Amino acid sequence: MFSLKPPKPTFKSYLLPLPQSEDHITAEPRIKKLEPILLPGEIVVNEVNFVRKCIATDTSQYDLWGKLVCTNFKISFITDDPMPLQKFHYKNLLLGEHDVPLTCIEQIVTVNDTKRKQKVLGPNQKLKFNPTELIIYCKDFRIVRFRFDEAGPESAKKVCLAIAHYSQPTDLQLLFAFEYVGEIYHNPAKKVNGVDPGGGGGGSIGSASGQQTPLFETYSDWDREIKRTGASEWRVCSVNEGYMISTCLPEYFVVPSSLADQDLKLYSYSFIGRRMPVWSWNHPNGSALVRMANIKDVLQQRKIDQRICNAITRSHPLRSDVFKSDLDKCLPSIQEIQAAHIKLKQLCVNEPFEETEEKWLSSLENTHWLEYIRSFLKHSAELVYMMECKHVSVVLQEEEGRDLSCLAASLIQVMLDPYFRTIVGFQSLIQKEWVMAGYQFLDRCNHLKRSDKESPLFLMFLDCVWQLLEQYPAAFEFSEMYLTILYDSARISLFGTFLFNCPHQRVKESTEFAISKNIQLGDEKGLRFPCVWDWSLQFTSRDRLLFHNPLYIGKSAPCVQNGAVKTFKRSKKNYSSTLRGVPPALKNGIISDQEFLPRRNSLILKLKPDFLQQTESQSNSMEQYFRDWFTKPVDLHGVILPHISGTQIKLWKLCYFRWVPEAQINHGGFITAFHKVSLLADEVDMLNRNLRQYKSNSSLQGNCSELDHSRMYFRANGLNDTTGAPDFLSSSFPFSPVGNLCRRSILGTPLSKFLSGAKIWLSTETLANED
Amino acid sequence: MEHITTPKVENVKLLDRYTNRKAANGTLYLTATHLIYVDASSEVRKETWILHHHIASVEKLPLTTAGCPLLIHCKNFHVAHFVIGQERDCHEVYTSLLKLSQPVKPEELYAFSYNPKMSKDNREIGWKLIDLKVDYQRMGIPNDYWEITDVNKDYEVCNTYPPEIVVPRAANKATVIGSSRFRSRGRIPVLSYLYKENNAAICRCSQPLSGFSARCLEDEQMLQAIREANPGCAFMYVVDTRPKLNAMANRAAGKGYENEDNYDNIRFKFIGIENIHVMRNSLQKLLEVCETKSPSMSDFLTGLENSGWLRHIKAVMDAGVFLAKAVKDENASVLVHCSDGWDRTAQVCSLASLLLDPFYRTFKGFMLVTQDLTMFCFSLSRCGHLDGDPKEVSPVFTQFIECVWQLMQQFPCTFEFNERFLLEIHDHVYSCQFGNFLGTCHKEREDLKIFEKTHSLWPFLLQKKQELRNPLYKGFTAYKELQPNTLPFSFQFWCGMYNRFDKGMHPKQCVLDHLLSCMSQKMKLEDNKLRSVHDWSRKDAIRLFSVVVRGCKCPFSSSKIDFKKKKNFLALNESLHGPSPCGRTDSFFVSYAYLLNKNNKKNSVPFYGDHFNV
Repeated sequence: MFSLKPPKPTFKSYLLPLPQSEDHITAEPRIKKLEPILLPGEIVVNEVNFVRKCIATDTSQYDLWGKLVCTNFKISFITDDPMPLQKFHYKNLLLGEHDVPLTCIEQIVTVNDTKRKQKVLGPNQKLKFNPTELIIYCKDFRIVRFRFDEAGPESAKKVCLAIAHYSQPTDLQLLFAFEYVGEIYHNPAKKVNGVDPGGGGGGSIGSASGQQTPLFETYSDWDREIKRTGASEWRVCSVNEGYMISTCLPEYFVVPSSLADQDLKLYSYSFIGRRMPVWSWNHPNGSALVRMANIKDVLQQRKIDQRICNAITRSHPLRSDVFKSDLDKCLPSIQEIQAAHIKLKQLCVNEPFEETEEKWLSSLENTHWLEYIRSFLKHSAELVYMMECKHVSVVLQEEEGRDLSCLAASLIQVMLDPYFRTIVGFQSLIQKEWVMAGYQFLDRCNHLKRSDKESPLFLMFLDCVWQLLEQYPAAFEFSEMYLTILYDSARISLFGTFLFNCPHQRVKESTEFAISKNIQLGDEKGLRFPCVWDWSLQFTSRDRLLFHNPLYIGKSAPCVQNGAVKTFKRSKKNYSSTLRGVPPALKNGIISDQEFLPRRNSLILKLKPDFLQQTESQSNSMEQYFRDWFTKPVDLHGVILPHISGTQIKLWKLCYFRWVPEAQINHGGFITAFHKVSLLADEVDMLNRNLRQYKSNSSLQGNCSELDHSRMYFRANGLNDTTGAPDFLSSSFPFSPVGNLCRRSILGTPLSKFLSGAKIWLSTETLANED
Repeated sequence: MEHITTPKVENVKLLDRYTNRKAANGTLYLTATHLIYVDASSEVRKETWILHHHIASVEKLPLTTAGCPLLIHCKNFHVAHFVIGQERDCHEVYTSLLKLSQPVKPEELYAFSYNPKMSKDNREIGWKLIDLKVDYQRMGIPNDYWEITDVNKDYEVCNTYPPEIVVPRAANKATVIGSSRFRSRGRIPVLSYLYKENNAAICRCSQPLSGFSARCLEDEQMLQAIREANPGCAFMYVVDTRPKLNAMANRAAGKGYENEDNYDNIRFKFIGIENIHVMRNSLQKLLEVCETKSPSMSDFLTGLENSGWLRHIKAVMDAGVFLAKAVKDENASVLVHCSDGWDRTAQVCSLASLLLDPFYRTFKGFMLVTQDLTMFCFSLSRCGHLDGDPKEVSPVFTQFIECVWQLMQQFPCTFEFNERFLLEIHDHVYSCQFGNFLGTCHKEREDLKIFEKTHSLWPFLLQKKQELRNPLYKGFTAYKELQPNTLPFSFQFWCGMYNRFDKGMHPKQCVLDHLLSCMSQKMKLEDNKLRSVHDWSRKDAIRLFSVVVRGCKCPFSSSKIDFKKKKNFLALNESLHGPSPCGRTDSFFVSYAYLLNKNNKKNSVPFYGDHFNV
């Protein structure tokens, strides 16, 4: 059994600069000494010198020489050489330019040219040859390649084995976050980037906005959400405090006011994982969005279902019926999504460049990725229709209620509630519907690389949001860079946010860990890990500006409608203007295989006649709703619905192609428009500031500080700035594909065939046996 | 008009292809130039106008209970599905449209009857607006190596070339004439674009009459002269844009391609762009995909791939990129031909100059490029203006326009004009409303007296410049050469062209409109600023300023502000928030317009000030 206990650290870890100098972090001493920057608790486990990092596919002239280091957090390549060909590097404060976090590694392939051997390295494996080459396949579609021609063969081998070992830990507590937090608890002075790790708060992204992301760990966060959405017939329930009822639900959640704690306890036994129905969100018209697991107790099923639905009905101001959507029946399964993801990865990394490039579209079709995206968008939009137009509460039902329903619930809310299209709102949504709802990040992201439960649902969610962002760029406060970076952050094993299968697991595992490390927890429930929403841990305040979408029309923006000035405000009246009168005769409406639950005592059988006719009228009225919606001007602070025709669903190129040098458009791509609009937005801000100055009769001086506070990453030099785009802009900005993808071997080894032809992402078994 | 037997039919239904909405009911009118449908069922008067020249096909479908369906496909990808109550009416409309849409004589074309009430002088000025000779001057021609010659003034060298052509100085008249005898249809190598920075040139011609072994000394001299006109490079490229197989087949007919051994220092290369027949069929398949009602992801992607359309677009783009790279990176001159040098050659040369020279990405520059297409290469029969062989019709021009659009997608800030400018040009290539695209060549245009009898499109478009400009344009100097990515995934389906008339797929209100009206507003305001009033006190200005910028309630009584103007402003503002955006670039404009509008406020004070003092 392997233990994290270091064999006596050989490198002294030191602190990163203090918070004040956050923006001047460039002055690092590491370049000279070829030593890695280490975080608190990070240790070097192995290293090898005279390593060559391959940069270009067709030539070795750009290769870099340096030292390859494996720590318990990352693999790091340290070099004196500047990065060739690269004009821009978006710096993550936790990672060097050439670093890969261990949790981002998907597969490790060692190669020996002369012996014509290759092996996929698993944990605790032996390597019978000295590798001349190491290829790291990353989960974010990068491929990094090192050559050991001049390195000591034994040390090269050791580093490869160390990487294989450390990137595939056998236990959750061996993930770096634990070591890091342990170190912090022992030495509170050590704070990474000057931020208190796990300060509890959700962090803020802009220096100007001090807003914190609600984490929904506490009673009050839920209570505030109830009040914000006006869900007066719902209450926060503490029955799961200490995870007494369910270990995969949060400690606090929201239930119908009419259900007593005793009832809940009783009912909970019938649900898989004791995941009883919990509230997600309320429409201003009173319709609620509820998630629940399947009822395992067949005998009780009907009864419990009825009671729950009655309670939900009672919490609706109009006492409307409940519409249940069985997600397992109408959405792709997590296995299908995983299969699609694997194919997509293959397509984006290998196939665009092969001779079969004429088949690009059918290959894309063959992945089913876009098709699945479309089905999530479509289904969510249909449920939006139910809530918005039919005024019924929607219950998302799923086997365990913690996979597809995370995605569907959050998508519905993004479409319906403009708050979730702001940065803080979006983050709170992820906390609420993913982290707290028990989405199994550990298994689905496969941090321990042993799980057959891997599935990129979270990525699929981000992709769906990207589709909406693409269709309504002015409706979102964040940019596609933000979404991409968020996706990347799920694969840095420092943040507690994306590390666990559920909140309970964090408490349980970290308490165990704390005891084994003699950490006094005091009143705290488990260790507090750094939170991903503390973006200052990863990026300087200037770099965080890239998260902002210059096109976003914020809430403060005036909107003139019908000659009257109106500010965007979520007011009940505003929404429920559509709510006059009784909801349409819904009790007869039935959509395909889903069911409406009639109110107490009414028999489902009664609904059977006219079934076909009703189904038709239902889908007609839905179609009518969508059609009408699309013919009307869109209110960016109201509901947004996706276009779901095949022509409108696109591939998220920034996310999937950013590491592929061949896919870049130099000096082009959407970013150039982003740049242009940023300048304009900055000019407008500048005008506003000038105006404020005039208004307050203050002099021109003394306001320089305010002038420095631009919202925009790209700044205008003055009004009507006409300078062209910076030279470093390319379609993959702010990421740089240089050195990240070396498909073909320079030396013409068998590797070239191996890499371009072999379905390496698919069949590791066959390769593993080739040793 | 003698073809119109039934000028008006009532109770005609217009079906919406994309939705199950109840069909509109209305009246159909036939005029000399248009088919007009007036929707009587809706509250707002809604009219659909279809120009006869735009009609590509009219079909009478089998009789239904609702009436007799008439399906019209247009060249601008509009599809109209009418149902006419009486079979007899339907038949009469059908026969009329058949004749109206395909006039036999050129004189029947719309351009000869179109009368915008413009003075004779203005019309002549309009024709002089775009002058290829001015562009030659811009390229520095004549210079030491190139001259403009009138050797073709009587169309003796080549009757499909304009009278003035640019050839190397070193090529004397004998060489030119000798070479012309060795080129299909006498289309000798002439200059298309000169890259001033390194003297590398893009030239065009038709295929040589080489057969299996024929040689022509003058033609060899001609190529040598072109190569030597670029002293910076020891070789030149000769590019045959056809697939090799096609070119070889032509050898059997006594035509073919250059033998590298016979010409000094040429590098010969094939670029496989398919012929017009393949392209025509491909477009047909593409349109079938577009007509699929709410296609699934799989239907759409598979259909798009099977049509091959984007592959052909890519082939044209690849060729353009090859040319641009040869000129820019290798300093080499390029001679391009296909068979007759008027389809593929034209597309590729124009595209290459667009890639190389930012001037061609401006309004005027793009008009030149388009004009150049019509001058040298563009064949009337490709557009099917007149009743003729349907096999000669091909979407050559559509493809070129789409290539430009694809470039716009990759480089959203490099073009002065927007997508609508492309669509306008595309429409008018088929509309025959203006003389620019009539006739196969300059000679024919002179014979038809097009320059005397018809109007030029360009002044007409320039009038609408405000709504055709690209608000993201970063200016002439921001970008020089473009290096587009030509991997397959870089090519997108152009919804705005092929699904343009399918309302369900686009925002009802076009975002671009609002943005552009915003810009013209800004210009107006800037004009007004000059006339700004002096006694307008600063304090008041600022108060009003804040009203406009923050959008809060106006502190001034509305009676003092001209109501109409204010309403305009509000309407503008409203519309900015209104439209439901479709694509990213498109919806981009919403917020951009919003920002611009905000930005404009700095100028809006005097605008209000004018009225304030009234």
